[in-house]
Amino acid sequence: MQTRKTPNQNERTHLSINERALKELVVESEDLQFDALRDMKSQVAELQETAFERRRDPVNQEEIARFNASRRSFMKRMGITGGGIAGKGLFAGAFGTALAGLIARPASADTALDIQVLQTASALETVAITTYEAALGLDFIKNGNKVIIAFAETTIQQHSDHRAAFKAQTTALGGTEQNSPHPGATQIVKDALPGLTDGLKVVQLAEQLETIATQTYVENTTLLEDSVAKQLMASILGVETQHAATLRAVAALLEGGAPELIAIPVDPGKLPAAAGSVGFPEAIEPVTNALTPESGAAGAEEAK
Amino acid sequence: MNTETSETTLTETAINAAHNTNFGRRKFIFGAGLTAAAVALAACAGDDDNGVNAGGDDEGGDIPAGDLDILAFATGLELLAVGTYKAALDAATSGALGDIPPAGAEFVQTALNQHQEIADALNGVLTGAGREEVTEANADVKAAVVDPAFAAAKNFGDAAKLARTLEIAASATYLKAVQSQLTAKPIIRTAAGIQSTGQQRAAILNYVLGEYPIPDTFQKTDAAIAP
Repeated sequence: MQTRKTPNQNERTHLSINERALKELVVESEDLQFDALRDMKSQVAELQETAFERRRDPVNQEEIARFNASRRSFMKRMGITGGGIAGKGLFAGAFGTALAGLIARPASADTALDIQVLQTASALETVAITTYEAALGLDFIKNGNKVIIAFAETTIQQHSDHRAAFKAQTTALGGTEQNSPHPGATQIVKDALPGLTDGLKVVQLAEQLETIATQTYVENTTLLEDSVAKQLMASILGVETQHAATLRAVAALLEGGAPELIAIPVDPGKLPAAAGSVGFPEAIEPVTNALTPESGAAGAEEAK
Repeated sequence: MNTETSETTLTETAINAAHNTNFGRRKFIFGAGLTAAAVALAACAGDDDNGVNAGGDDEGGDIPAGDLDILAFATGLELLAVGTYKAALDAATSGALGDIPPAGAEFVQTALNQHQEIADALNGVLTGAGREEVTEANADVKAAVVDPAFAAAKNFGDAAKLARTLEIAASATYLKAVQSQLTAKPIIRTAAGIQSTGQQRAAILNYVLGEYPIPDTFQKTDAAIAP
């Protein structure tokens, strides 16, 4: 096979970022987002028409009992106890201040499994949004690579659209909107705070959150009985997983000392070989990092 | 490549299939080409003490015929991807596609391996459920999409666009199956897992082709291939 020689550090040339082209790409992406969201809103409206009947569906108590047992175990494993994670005075600095808003606000518990799954998804989206927003306030991010900034801004919008759709379906099924962040994912972010000293570590944290969301949706999609809720979650997992793949590639380039290759468009001939595989490490997405369906549901904090 | 975790999902599927078809558990797992490590992980499947939804035997129930039909169709698509990536490697080796970036060569080899791994796994489920192994790539898509595009491919970029077309179509096919066609939970989980990694490959191809890697907020089914 004929291959191009991978340039070493000295041979790498700095690629100027074509910001105009990037903005055009983002605009195009946003147009596509709008179309997709419009379609999804139509589906949500359709769902709302049937919400009343669905509200009276019996809950599978055995299934809920099984997941409640796993939830308690999860909470214990995450070190989330009766005192909650708020009020411990562990948030410090601008990033920590922004993340302080993640602290959960208990609400009445919803028990129908579909509603719990949707609430947990909303809670995960909230953590992602808040984390990206906080990251954009860090000096080494906001003064750094323009493509990373554009990625974060676009991803915030995509997660916001995901959360809006999950919330809409939650209420369509008769549940309470989950406006609080996921406690377990928040704990992960909080634990990472002291080590967030450069762009690479922030990217790695974002990748971790995206992977958790992806795997949670892969697993929890199997639990959904409502057809539109299932359609929504499956379509969103296909996007979260692309966020994760892209972040893995970005992290590899940062780790390899080639931040100039984080560019759109990029010269593929300058990319190291690993960039061709690091984004998709598995043939089939595992669910080892999936969070339980009720772990971010309304009332999860109260129930522990 | 870490294969253990991905095989956990497959192993769960295999276990359920084994129970439901009266095949021996060990025989089925090895028939699916899974490793000893996967067998060890299988022993943990269903243990949710760690807070992870491992699923497990309680998801049993026969794999419906409709699910197996979809898996058989999907296996044909996976074999088509394997064949296409092999052809791309051959063309690259012969110089027919010009210079191949190192990342491009790495992508093709990794994607080829993953699609073969998926095809083997799906065939394991099929044969475990008493179906025939699928050995032929999807001929219709090959004739309508792959052959014309491959004949016209003059460089790496052309080949990468064809690869992206296949990845998007395959992932959209799994998405549609997850959304509205499959009914058995382990099968849905596996299909969603394959949908996910297809989207990952598409994102990397978007980037390599100079485009924004995540163009959609919601994955679409427009490109799904009907069984």
